[in-house]
Amino acid sequence: MDFVTLGGNLLGTIQLGDIVLYLTPFSLFLFAVLLGFTVLIGLSKPETQVEATMHYLNNTEVKVGPKELKQRRFLAVICGIASAGAMITGDLFNFTLFMALVGILNIGIVSAVKQTSVLNSAFNYGLIAMMCSLPLFGGAAIILAATGTLSLAVLSQMPASPMVVFGAVMMLIGILGESGVAPFFASKAEMFRTAGSPYIVIIHLSSLFIIVRAVEILLLVLW
Amino acid sequence: MAEILIQVIIAFLAGSLLLGLHRKVMARVQKRPGPPIVQQLIHSLKFFFKETAFPKTVSKVFYIGIVFILALIWVVGVIVGPVAKDSLLILFGVYAVYKIVEHNSGSSSGSPYGKLSCVRAVLSAATELPLFAAIVFVYLVTGTMNIGEIITYQSVHGPLIYSIPLAALMFFMLIITKSPYSPFAITKDKVLISGFETEHFGFLRGFMLFSEAIAWYVLLWVFLTIFFGPLNAVGYLIGMIVISFVTGFINATTPLLSPNHSVMTQITIGAICFAGTALMIFTGVVA
Repeated sequence: MDFVTLGGNLLGTIQLGDIVLYLTPFSLFLFAVLLGFTVLIGLSKPETQVEATMHYLNNTEVKVGPKELKQRRFLAVICGIASAGAMITGDLFNFTLFMALVGILNIGIVSAVKQTSVLNSAFNYGLIAMMCSLPLFGGAAIILAATGTLSLAVLSQMPASPMVVFGAVMMLIGILGESGVAPFFASKAEMFRTAGSPYIVIIHLSSLFIIVRAVEILLLVLW
Repeated sequence: MAEILIQVIIAFLAGSLLLGLHRKVMARVQKRPGPPIVQQLIHSLKFFFKETAFPKTVSKVFYIGIVFILALIWVVGVIVGPVAKDSLLILFGVYAVYKIVEHNSGSSSGSPYGKLSCVRAVLSAATELPLFAAIVFVYLVTGTMNIGEIITYQSVHGPLIYSIPLAALMFFMLIITKSPYSPFAITKDKVLISGFETEHFGFLRGFMLFSEAIAWYVLLWVFLTIFFGPLNAVGYLIGMIVISFVTGFINATTPLLSPNHSVMTQITIGAICFAGTALMIFTGVVA
């Protein structure tokens, strides 16, 4: 299946050998939204999270300290850029690399938090992401072995052999685990309980957008 | 440009009135008189002229920016859907951004109610998979993601509701989830006051209601277009009224589920519909 059928009219291409970076309204929309959010993250200061104090009639204010803020903002911006890269790449292996980078950064963004439940959740998500990196890269490797290319432009014009289908299924499992969406979302939800709204939003945004892009990539490879 | 403006105004007015009808139906089922149908529209307009306050705990850039993003993405939804009839995948992207906005407007306020709503928004990501599956099945049957071409396909082969009814059911589940007072509306549970909207006042709430109306219109338009197309204006009007009526009845007669039950119910229905549709396609029941 070609890019136009899936993502709308072809707006432009950049040819790098057999790897073709392409821009359709679909990839442009995802790329622009991610860059927009990344700029907002860079400009934002975190909120003060108000929580009820256990056994007392007062509130506790949870704030992000200056050191923690710098680290989390840096990682969130890198995560935004990596996710934006995953939206316009025309290479299957680059997509899996961006995906793995996003998984690592998602854990990094909450790693400086001092709430045990958040760290536990990040640890569980990290385990799943680590396990799922095997089918993610393995799937891409199988597709490369079966077709001799990782270029989406070339793969979209090739018929899907049983090995390509197997590789695509492996990749799907890897993507679901790395991005932490259903059925793995339960491991990730607690990570969002911490303060620092501008930074944790990129965790959710990158996961969802990578799933949206993965739909296009898998359809390109399979049909 | 003029067409975009006209379509956005139609989406806002029609969406507001349909949500008003939805509220009226719920009230009548529960033996209450309910507010007038135009109340939702009046509310939306009223908030634009109310005094706006900003809590001192907020992350200001996101707190204010997110409501404009919310309005903007549903305007993009109108452009991609009713105006340009472009790729379904872009609409899937629009819906993904909507989930992010739901998530961030809750957390950026610093309110514990908004925060809990934000965590639940992550949990309720279970609705994205049935939506994704429904779109893929439409693609497998029609061979295209372009909404205009899907309409053309249906004008030749008949509406897709007859060939892939379970995929339509998956999409309808999303519509129920996004309807007000839905059994799956865990992000707006009354124990969270108004969930992610709790700390947004004045014109910020006005933008949220504006977006809600457009979102409702776009979701119904997409559902009717890809499963009941091709339809004329009267067909869309009747379809939207019927769906608003049906969802109003369902929401009036079902309690709000707990987060875990909500997610499990959605996943179970989604999995059954997914397996059923896949079976129908791969065994040749669907041509």
